[in-house]
Amino acid sequence: MESQNIKFQFVSADGEARDVEGQIGETVMEVAYATGIKGIAAECGGSMSCGTCHVFLDKASFERIEAPSESELDMLDIVSSDRRPTSRLSCQIKLTPEFVDAEVHIPESQY
Amino acid sequence: MQQVLDPKSIPAGCPMHNAGQNFHPFEHEGMYDFFAEIRADVPVFYSPEIDYWVVTRREDVIAVLRDHDRFSATVATQPVVPWPPEMLQSMIDRGFTNESVQVACDPPRHDRIRTHVQGFLNPKKLLSYDGAVRELVKGYVAQMKGKDEIDLVDALTYELPAKTAFLLLGVTDIDPRRIKQWTELRVKLMHGHPTREEQFAAADDLLDFWNFSCDLVEQRKKVPGDDYPSWLLASRGGDDTRLTENEIKSLVFASLLAAHETTSNASANLLLELLRRPEDWKALVDDPKLIPNAVEEGLRYVSSVVAWRRLAKEDVEIGGVTLPAGSKIILSLASAGRDEATFENGETFDIRRKNARSHVAFGNGLHFCMGAPIARMQMRMMVEELTAAFPNMQLIEDDPVEIVGVLTFRGPTRLPVRLNP
Repeated sequence: MESQNIKFQFVSADGEARDVEGQIGETVMEVAYATGIKGIAAECGGSMSCGTCHVFLDKASFERIEAPSESELDMLDIVSSDRRPTSRLSCQIKLTPEFVDAEVHIPESQY
Repeated sequence: MQQVLDPKSIPAGCPMHNAGQNFHPFEHEGMYDFFAEIRADVPVFYSPEIDYWVVTRREDVIAVLRDHDRFSATVATQPVVPWPPEMLQSMIDRGFTNESVQVACDPPRHDRIRTHVQGFLNPKKLLSYDGAVRELVKGYVAQMKGKDEIDLVDALTYELPAKTAFLLLGVTDIDPRRIKQWTELRVKLMHGHPTREEQFAAADDLLDFWNFSCDLVEQRKKVPGDDYPSWLLASRGGDDTRLTENEIKSLVFASLLAAHETTSNASANLLLELLRRPEDWKALVDDPKLIPNAVEEGLRYVSSVVAWRRLAKEDVEIGGVTLPAGSKIILSLASAGRDEATFENGETFDIRRKNARSHVAFGNGLHFCMGAPIARMQMRMMVEELTAAFPNMQLIEDDPVEIVGVLTFRGPTRLPVRLNP
């Protein structure tokens, strides 16, 4: 299959937006790390044991993509910034065509 | 691509050569000053004493830790001084079948085992021990009351993390000091530089420690409880392709060390730095909300894990230097924690530092410490209970505090204090 780039947007806690792109199958956390986005610590590198890659999605994108697993929901219980209805761990969101134009909001703090 | 570097070709007199000559990996006295002096000029150097390349900067340390494709963790707990083959064979003959798990193995094996481990050692489950750990801390602190002088290591930081580990493992029938002694021996065999005689002398005790772990798993097979070994057994579901019994025994053996050794040292390191600065102790007495950040600053300023090991699986470039495949690498977490590129005035201990938590004391990436939430919890509760009970506690300055070391771990062996001066 032809590799396809997915374009989406990070929005920092103070509202600054930045367009990025990544390949299908990459995670949102990996794109953040590769493009130098600040505010996503992701200390455990995507193995779901730190809860420091918390993000909020726009509602439409949240509903369009695959729902979070039970273990991700458990981790979201212990994140530092208040959890919202569209909270996700960015290490658990794999880029798919449904994710095009998503807005990924970064919380105030990951700790 | 640069030419691969042969350590013998580094000319005498160049900063990289000098760093290698002046670095004493088993001596902790002066280690921070050494790294402060060289870090700006020497991102990586070769240590002939141990045949390892040493990485000094935080950014490079994190890049290596996150790159498990090119850097293998299989050397992480390998004996620095190899065990004599006849010792190893004699151990195997007597049933020592410990195998490398999590901290010292790579994907896909690592990831397969991790899916089972994570069902129990996840932050939510660990944080559910909040009340039980608080009771333990209060119990130790209560026993100190009424005394004038005390050694905080002996009275608190040495045992408490082992007791917390026992909560997770469901262990009730062994003296924590026995586990601590076994652990110290094992740490020396893995990360220290024991003599051949010391290696042989330790073999029987190591075997006892292994057998204790195996017995624990066998007991849980008969009578399961709400604990880590029982969870692993249930998660295995009798299926060796998922997880073997020997892997479970190895995981329990690993956690009987990892779940307390580093926390004992980290708590004592933190308490030492706080008590060296009476104004900081008073600040925490007056405003306990500062304690969580003080814990992070303690982890940054003096990590109990000062170094961690990796093996280059291919030719790799670190800090502008190309190292050949097969190079053994030590990541100096001690040096990374004070790197001025991230931490302004990195050599200053500052309990209000805004980015203290950007330290790498728990590692980074795939092998990030799974016990971090409960380690942090214990450190926080120890400081909370001690500052509340002994607001005027003072370090006994004239009593020297020893920092003992192996290659990887650091912590004071004694912490004599006056409780109510």
